[in-house]
Formats: sequence, structure tokens, C-alpha cells
Amino acid sequence: MVDSDIKEMRRLVIKSFHITEASFSDKTEIMGQSLYLRKNIVDDITKDEPLIHSVNIEIIKPNEHDRWVNSIMDIIPISAKVLGRLGEGITHTLTGIYVMLTGVDTEGVQVAEFGSSEGILKDKIVLNRPGTPGENDIILLCDVVLKAGEGSFRTGPTAAHRVCDKMVQEIRDKLKKLNGRYCTEKHEFYDVIKPNRKRVAIVKQVAGQGAMYDTHLFAKEPSGFAGGRSIIDMGNVPIIVSPNEYRDGAIRAMH
Amino acid sequence: MGVGPSTKETSLHHFRDPLLDVVSKDNDVDLVGIVIVGTPQNNEDKYFVGQRVGAWAEAMRLDGVIISVDGWGNSHVDYANTIEEIGKRGIEVVGLSFVGTQAQFVVKNKYMDTIVDFNKSAEGIETETVGENTVTELDAKKALAMLKLKMRKRADK
Repeated sequence: MVDSDIKEMRRLVIKSFHITEASFSDKTEIMGQSLYLRKNIVDDITKDEPLIHSVNIEIIKPNEHDRWVNSIMDIIPISAKVLGRLGEGITHTLTGIYVMLTGVDTEGVQVAEFGSSEGILKDKIVLNRPGTPGENDIILLCDVVLKAGEGSFRTGPTAAHRVCDKMVQEIRDKLKKLNGRYCTEKHEFYDVIKPNRKRVAIVKQVAGQGAMYDTHLFAKEPSGFAGGRSIIDMGNVPIIVSPNEYRDGAIRAMH
Repeated sequence: MGVGPSTKETSLHHFRDPLLDVVSKDNDVDLVGIVIVGTPQNNEDKYFVGQRVGAWAEAMRLDGVIISVDGWGNSHVDYANTIEEIGKRGIEVVGLSFVGTQAQFVVKNKYMDTIVDFNKSAEGIETETVGENTVTELDAKKALAMLKLKMRKRADK
């Protein structure tokens, strides 16, 4: 796979499973290209969440973008660690469906920091970008309503990410169990040392100031929330991430 | 001021980051890692974290850095400072930032001569449309090409 003078440090395999249909059902399941989400999942994910008034989960089909959404807090891939730790081993990910987290409070104040994106969905998102769903993708909307005023404290948006992650975790637990042989695509990535080349680093300056302005790193699951460490809590100092850790979802954008 | 909806890099963006993809695939360079640095509130902290990035860059014996930011306005204070901390150590730097017409740099220095502006809106503004003003593969390729040119020029000197 790699040239003779290149030293291989670790290998990451990302296997994707393509989804073309999503609907609510009695239990969460992935069957063929269909994702079923437990219809009463909201009751469980909002338990012990005192800052959250309610959560509304919806499936938005590709031709249904002429509709209202609250301010878009994040777009999140559904990925799960199957083998190894972040940056190595095997990760499963779904394509054709992405999670959209939106937030508002009971007073109608949007959860946003520096301009907000509530409105008619088709006017509020540019599709087919690296960070947005494609035009044929399904959007799994997780719309969180915080209690009045909670969006202005760091704990409010953090709670919204947490409940959304609990929903995704139920899907991840099924995604982990899929037989890798039946994946739609398989991509192999290597962390390598290439001697005698120009040495280059990428520096990413990320949000780190407070409510709707935070970045988490190294969650337990790819692009996850649980177990992640806040760049604010780490004093905003530079943290080194390997290319494979990065592409295995080391970063959760909390802004 | 900070990260607006149109410049925000979502978790999905990080997962399939075009900048990482372009730089890691290029066999002329050895990508040693990605440095994640926060954007603190007060100025003393802003300078502190920039200095720490500079120290890392020196310790890694880097030839070049591509530095990307998805916020603007106040975030550009940190950005300019970090670029200076890298540049003054004799390491070539290329930046990626939203500039457009709305986000002209509040502070600048001599190391900010190669900044790729990833504004995509016709008006050059924060449109509050998610994904609009974010880094694409083409932006990443431009940044890497500029960096390679700068590194070659320095080597020829």
C-alpha cells in the first residue's frame, strides 16, 4: 500500500453503509438500506435533562426542504467505532443520512452565537458541501427546545448536543453490529511518516469561548459527544491530532 | 464576534475535511499532524495560545504551515497573532479564512501575504446560510500549492 521509504504508523478502515429509506418503528434497526428509529426514543433521551423542555425528531426527505427549521447548530455523521480506538481499527458510518441538530428556547430565542440560521430549510443551507448533506440525502432532524434563557449559557447548547448524541448512540449500537462484508464502500487510511519531504502541519483555529462557541475533541465515538474534552476546559492550548484521528471524527463542533 | 452560520465547520465537515484530504494525499510533503487551537476570550490568552502554537511548530521542525479559521472579526486577532508566531520562526505560512467584503482583517502583519479567502457569497458577507462560506477541495488545493511555492522559494535562497 505505501512506498518503501514511508513508515506506516497505523491503519484506519472506514466502512460505509448507504441508507435510502428512513422511518419510525417500534425499535431502532438497520435493515438493508433502511433505517428504522424507535418512535418513543425521545422519552428516554430527555430523561435527566433538566435544561431541556422538549425534543422533536423528524425525518426530512430530500424533496422536503420547503419547511421551517430552527437555527442549525450542527450537522453530524452517524459513525461508530467497531474495532480499536479512535484513529485506528475499523469504523462504520452511514451515508445517505445525516443528523441535523437545531435549537431554540421556549421563548422562541434561537440557540446561536454570531448570527443564526433559522428559516425555510432550502434557503438556510447550501447542500453538497463537505459539511452539509447532499441533495439526495435524508436529514434526521433533532430539534431541541431548551427551557427559557438556557441557550445563553454553555450548559444549554451542551445539553442539546448530549441528547442528540444519545439518539445517535442507539443507531450506533446497531451500526456496530452490521456485517462489514456487506458495506457499500470501504476506505483505508494510514498515518504515515514520509522521510525527506517538506514537513508540514495543518493548524485549525476553533471556537473556544463559551455558549455556542466550544469545540470537543476525542469523544468515545466518531463525531460523538460522550467522553469528549472541551477545548475551553483544556485552556484553548494547541492539541495535536493525527490525520487518522481527525478523519475518524476526533472533532465535535459545538458552535 | 465569532463563528457565523455560513463559515461554521460542522462536525460532518471535520469528518470529511477537504484540507486534510488534499494535504495528506500529496507525496511531496510529510503531514506531521493537525494542531487544534482554541480561540480564547481575553487578549492575554489569545497571545498565549498563539505563542504555544509557534513553539510547537518550531519543535516539530516544520517547513510550512497551513492555518485555517472558521470564525472572523474578533477571531482574526488570534489568527493574525498565531500566524506571526509561526512566521517569525522562519516557517512558511499560508492561511485560509473567510474575508469577503465584510471580514477584512482587523489586524495584519507581514506574514499574512498568502491568505486564501473562502468566501463564496456574491456579496462577500456572512449570509447566515449553513455551508456557504466554507473550505472546498479547490480552496485546499490553492493553499497547498501556495505553500509549496513559498517553501521552494525559501529553499532556493
